[in-house]
Amino acid sequence: MEQYKLFIDGEFVDAKDGKTFESIDPGTGLPFATVAQAGEADAEAAIAAARRAFDRGDWSGLDMAARIAKLQDFADQISRQGVRMVMTECMDVGQIVGYAKVIVMWSSLLLRNLAAYAATKFPLEEEVLASGNAFSPGREFVVREPVGVCVGIVPWNFPTTLAMWKIAPALIMGNTIVVKPASNTPLTALILAEAAKAAGLPKGVFNVLPGPGGRLGKTLCTHPDVDKVAFTGSTEVGREIMRMASDTVKRVTLELGGKSANIILDDADMDLAVEGAVFGTFLHQGQICESGTRVLVPSKIYDEFIDKMKKRAEALRIGYQLDPTSHMGPVVSKEQLATVEHYVKLGKEEGAEVITGGRRVEVKGREGGYYYAPTIFANVNNKMRIAQEEIFGPVVCVIKYDSDEEAVAIANDSIYGLAGGVFSNNIARAERVARGVRTGTMWINNFHVFAEYCPFGGYKQSGVGRELGHWGLEEYTQVKRIHVPYYSDRNTNFGFTLLSDNKKIDGFNYNCPTNVIAGHGCLSSIYKVIVDLGCRRALILTDPGVRKAGLADLVKNSLVDFCVGIYDNIPPDPDLESVDGATDKARELKADCIVSVGGGSVIDAGKVVCVALKSGGKANDYINRWYALSEPQTPHIVVPTTAGTGSEVTNLAVITNRTAGRKLFIADPKITPNAAILDPRFTMTLPKDMTVATAMDAMTHAVEAVMSIMANQICDGQAFQAIRLISENLPLVVADGKNETARLNMQIAATMAGWSFTVAQVGLAHAMAHTVGTLHHVPHGAACGIMLPKVMRFNVDHATGKLALVAQALGVDTKGMEERDAALAAADAVEALMAKVGHPMRLRDVGVPEEGLALCAFHALADSSTLFNARPTGDPGEILKLLQQAY
Amino acid sequence: MSLVTLDPGAGQAIRSLLSERGTQGTVRIEVQFTGCCDPSLGLIVDTVRESDLVEELDGLTFVISPETHQLVGEVRISCVDDAARKGFILTSSKPISEWDGFAAGSIKM
Repeated sequence: MEQYKLFIDGEFVDAKDGKTFESIDPGTGLPFATVAQAGEADAEAAIAAARRAFDRGDWSGLDMAARIAKLQDFADQISRQGVRMVMTECMDVGQIVGYAKVIVMWSSLLLRNLAAYAATKFPLEEEVLASGNAFSPGREFVVREPVGVCVGIVPWNFPTTLAMWKIAPALIMGNTIVVKPASNTPLTALILAEAAKAAGLPKGVFNVLPGPGGRLGKTLCTHPDVDKVAFTGSTEVGREIMRMASDTVKRVTLELGGKSANIILDDADMDLAVEGAVFGTFLHQGQICESGTRVLVPSKIYDEFIDKMKKRAEALRIGYQLDPTSHMGPVVSKEQLATVEHYVKLGKEEGAEVITGGRRVEVKGREGGYYYAPTIFANVNNKMRIAQEEIFGPVVCVIKYDSDEEAVAIANDSIYGLAGGVFSNNIARAERVARGVRTGTMWINNFHVFAEYCPFGGYKQSGVGRELGHWGLEEYTQVKRIHVPYYSDRNTNFGFTLLSDNKKIDGFNYNCPTNVIAGHGCLSSIYKVIVDLGCRRALILTDPGVRKAGLADLVKNSLVDFCVGIYDNIPPDPDLESVDGATDKARELKADCIVSVGGGSVIDAGKVVCVALKSGGKANDYINRWYALSEPQTPHIVVPTTAGTGSEVTNLAVITNRTAGRKLFIADPKITPNAAILDPRFTMTLPKDMTVATAMDAMTHAVEAVMSIMANQICDGQAFQAIRLISENLPLVVADGKNETARLNMQIAATMAGWSFTVAQVGLAHAMAHTVGTLHHVPHGAACGIMLPKVMRFNVDHATGKLALVAQALGVDTKGMEERDAALAAADAVEALMAKVGHPMRLRDVGVPEEGLALCAFHALADSSTLFNARPTGDPGEILKLLQQAY
Repeated sequence: MSLVTLDPGAGQAIRSLLSERGTQGTVRIEVQFTGCCDPSLGLIVDTVRESDLVEELDGLTFVISPETHQLVGEVRISCVDDAARKGFILTSSKPISEWDGFAAGSIKM
């Protein structure tokens, strides 16, 4: 008899206690090889070798190309052992030779194919282009690294294949591995070890430990040096392994039992379905965990199906596994034979009817072998134990059903969910049924089809994780995220400010890519702008008022043939539904560009339409998400008809979510409009109250931007100029709405304030304005104006110098004033301006009830704008005082 | 040779479990298959059949089919309840699989 040894640390060795066991040919019941039997000490040695090898880095540290080259040598050595492996596989497990030769050949292919995939397509390093974190920009990427020392516990039904399902991904991804083959079938794993040694794999990278699971299992699954356990076997043992591995929080993948349903639909090709049922059940004597051992057949074809399946099963030739004419060989052991007999007896006792089989078979000249006839049970109820428990032998239950829904329900009535099949001439119907079954694999008009790039694994108690393909490789890696910030500066780290009294952020990222075109008559530039953006099909978004004023048609005429339509149904404070309506229209017209003509509501709606148009879905898919977009969106040109929001150049869009009862926003540089056309003709008809309210919105943007902890030199310059322009020009446009120069200056001021706050952010005045707007429907600009002077005074000791400069921009002569007095004068100047232009001065003037102030304070505290306020605040009492001052 | 032996505490644990579940039936020792490859021994509440081998032990009635007894020999039942395992562990003089005694199970009703 051949003698095999353990393979530990690159050497073939005897067990430390000298024990051996015999491997039995199930076709004869006779031993044909002796094998060293590993014990705990050998397991310790193998794990230690694998640990040393991993930590040494001469495998885990190789680059992928070098590792793949070595594994290609390994694959070649496996091929050199091909004939020996086929014969050994047959002798060890009883697999018929015609099948074994395919299976063994696949092992070498599997290794090469998975290795090639890993080297060329597996994302070992991935960029996270949109991190979702607006506060800490930088390069974000993930690298895949090996897990460490893996244990692969292999069952006896496919000793070579299932060993390779663990060995290949583990080694490809840079792990080391200890393989424990099944005691019934230990030999081919040891031949693989010979191939590995011949290929020159570093010592300890690959180790093989034949021996009883009951004795080795605890060591392998609890050892602190083991990082991952991959097990294929019974659910009972898998459950125990999972428990054991949990103590040291090892990764675990489990491929466990199954009781798969093979659903024959009433329109199936009968001969194909019968063949699929026979193949799905009796291949490899039924010793395949995903076998279709519950064949579900419609009542109306049941008798015909049973009759044909019986004839087909009885035509199968049972014989010695090395006889090339055999269709079926023996089951693996006398214990397995007894198990099969036990369940057949149980099935009869439960009332199921044996249509054929149900007995041992004697093969002439191989009288000691463990042969069993293909067995069909009819009239099986799915609640019977033979339909619920895996038998793992050539036994099938044929179960009646009356509708597709009932078939799916029966299929799902199982603790398992490993695989299944559907046979039908209607692929759409078959796919519907397949999608309804809760399993890891469904085959349509086929069965037992595996492929190295397709995942395999179970739902429910059939397992955890996947083997094969991309998903199988992932299981042998761990993900490491690496963050490299824009700024390596303690004063430009938003997070660090949480533990510091200095909240000011020094560094900044000024990314304001909007092409701004300003001046009387500049609308005509849109004809060139749209061409520069590569677009030909613009949809104009607007609101009914702007449409009625003829402004949208003015834009349409300037676009000449590049306008595919006008959608004029954008309401004030647009909600999700109105954005979706606009998106639907854009899709219907195949628009490739959005032109927003209106105020902030229209422009914000346009931004979200651009996202949905490019990235699919609906507005609700994108709101309340920050920095989540990774690529440019549909081009967006804006023609503002107000001078206030600055939305024409900002990276924000505010949309009302009526379900949440809140205005929610998107913050993302990718929604910044591509071009803004500031033609004063578009604001000439803006009513006085709107002119004032929107102007105070812009003023608040600018003043809060300079006070912000995110303030910076570029934004300061824009903000101060915006403040100056508003201070000088707002009284002029209030006095004469047709003053085109002043109107243009107000537009430019709003745009500059927009640039300023989109980077520097806003503060507490906006937080309170958002709140009174949401809870009491106060127009945003008016609310900002009312709150701004109160917040300026609140911040006076935290932004003194800045506020003093604001005072100068507002026209206050600060010469000879103390800086703090000058800062306070800025707040007075804002109030004076408001009074001059007729802006409401108190919250009571805009309908806020006094009893509502306390709730407003709590809501304002939770508004993200407070994060950037010059003076930190976490006290709702402080905010309530401000609201009371404003009341 | 006896059919079954009980480690200390196992009989009491079985009686308690049966009582909890409101049954006092006979306990059958049988071959069970819980998926992919390895059968194991398990316990199930059942009735006595004519061909069964029967043993009364510690106030409990155990039955086993002659075929199963011939396959596995004497069965030993122990009870564990610790951080790693909880339930009954069945081992036999002729182990039915290489995972003999590895996992703990309950009693099927």
